[in-house]
Amino acid sequence: MTHSLHREGTIESLEKDYAVFIYPARGYNYKGKGLNVRRLVEIVYQVGPANMIASTLRENLYSGVQPEAVLDSIKDGARVYTVYNSRDKIRNLLKLFKEADQGISIVVSGLIDRVRDIAAEAGLNPHTINLSLGIQGATHRLPPADIRQFTTMCGHAQVSPNLVKDIIRKVKTGKVDTWEGSLILAKPCACGIYNPHRSQEMLEDMSSQYMVTRW
Amino acid sequence: MIVNKELCVGCGRCQPYCPAEAIHYEDQKSVVDQDICFECGTCLRSEVCPVDALFEPLHIYEYPRAIRKFFSDPASTHKGTGIQGRGTEESKTNDVTLRCGPGQVGVAIEVGRPTLGMGLRDIQEITRALAQSGYFEIEPNNPVNSMVLNHETGDLKPELLDERILSGIIEMTIQKERLPGLLQVLKKVIPELGSVFMLDVVTLLEDGLTIPAYVLDVIKSEGFNWRPNAKINMGLGRASE
Repeated sequence: MTHSLHREGTIESLEKDYAVFIYPARGYNYKGKGLNVRRLVEIVYQVGPANMIASTLRENLYSGVQPEAVLDSIKDGARVYTVYNSRDKIRNLLKLFKEADQGISIVVSGLIDRVRDIAAEAGLNPHTINLSLGIQGATHRLPPADIRQFTTMCGHAQVSPNLVKDIIRKVKTGKVDTWEGSLILAKPCACGIYNPHRSQEMLEDMSSQYMVTRW
Repeated sequence: MIVNKELCVGCGRCQPYCPAEAIHYEDQKSVVDQDICFECGTCLRSEVCPVDALFEPLHIYEYPRAIRKFFSDPASTHKGTGIQGRGTEESKTNDVTLRCGPGQVGVAIEVGRPTLGMGLRDIQEITRALAQSGYFEIEPNNPVNSMVLNHETGDLKPELLDERILSGIIEMTIQKERLPGLLQVLKKVIPELGSVFMLDVVTLLEDGLTIPAYVLDVIKSEGFNWRPNAKINMGLGRASE
């Protein structure tokens, strides 16, 4: 999850991409807080996430799992990972979180300047920042930056560069459309913060630029 | 991960799912290169094999091979921390725990990220450099801590050195005055690495999501830059236990 601060892409694209974490702290507010987390998850659904997963039921938003099943799975210590694709939604979400006042840590990953504005609009004063100083080391071994726009939406590197290329090939050859391809790419992400809406836009932009090879 | 050759029909559907490019054709069947495989389980979870030929043999849960699983499969829970993921709760709960408090900065070295993974020998290059410079103050609950043989030298347990993991996070909290020295140590070790890491700096914010000037000045003066996106704790948590 830490890796959400390292999502790559253009500023225009990252403006439609805000990962949000609901995170009780072990030893501080785990015990007896399941219902508080559940209330926050109800708000998550109310605002309309682009994707989400609860640590207690590792099925993403597009797996067919029903909200009731996710809510019923929430217990003490449950953590929830979600992503939103608009500034209006994230502002609304944070306002509702503030009003709900459940005492559970909330983290937003996104463009610093935008989050600053959104926090002010929601009446929040953020506490701590985790800055990314980028990739260090043998960067020549990395896949190209346009492929990393997709792969870095999964912090644990479960969305492989070859799968991105395979989906681009399938989009170009008409085997899947850009939304279907994005859902395939979202599936390996065990944290549910792969944003298929952003992915769809990137596939539409990129598919014309790639040659059709095996991958 | 292993492919049952008796069952495999050679369709190759599993191959693009592998983040390590460990699955390839051999005699028209898919096989997993055991040296390269991180045991992340991505191919199995994808459920694309039409004949259920992919399976996890029991030995992947035996030490030292098990370290691949715990550090590469986000669905597995590390025994030491009880946390899914490769780090601890770090900045995500800092409004409650204040693990990184006034006058301090947190530093996270996300080894192997993004995508490439890292061998333990490369990780040892980093831990040795940190230890020999007096900066190896790894969080006790950090999963990487379980790999360490000697905190004074930074040596990792020798039986682990041939293993490789998709991601691990070396997390430390230090007094802010020590940040320049720590960044200088990392700059020296970077050219020696065969893989990559991502670098994070954690700090308390001033009012209005203002990043302390000292932290930004140190980052710039040591030749690093910060990216336009970041992970931000919104300050809504509180302790109740």
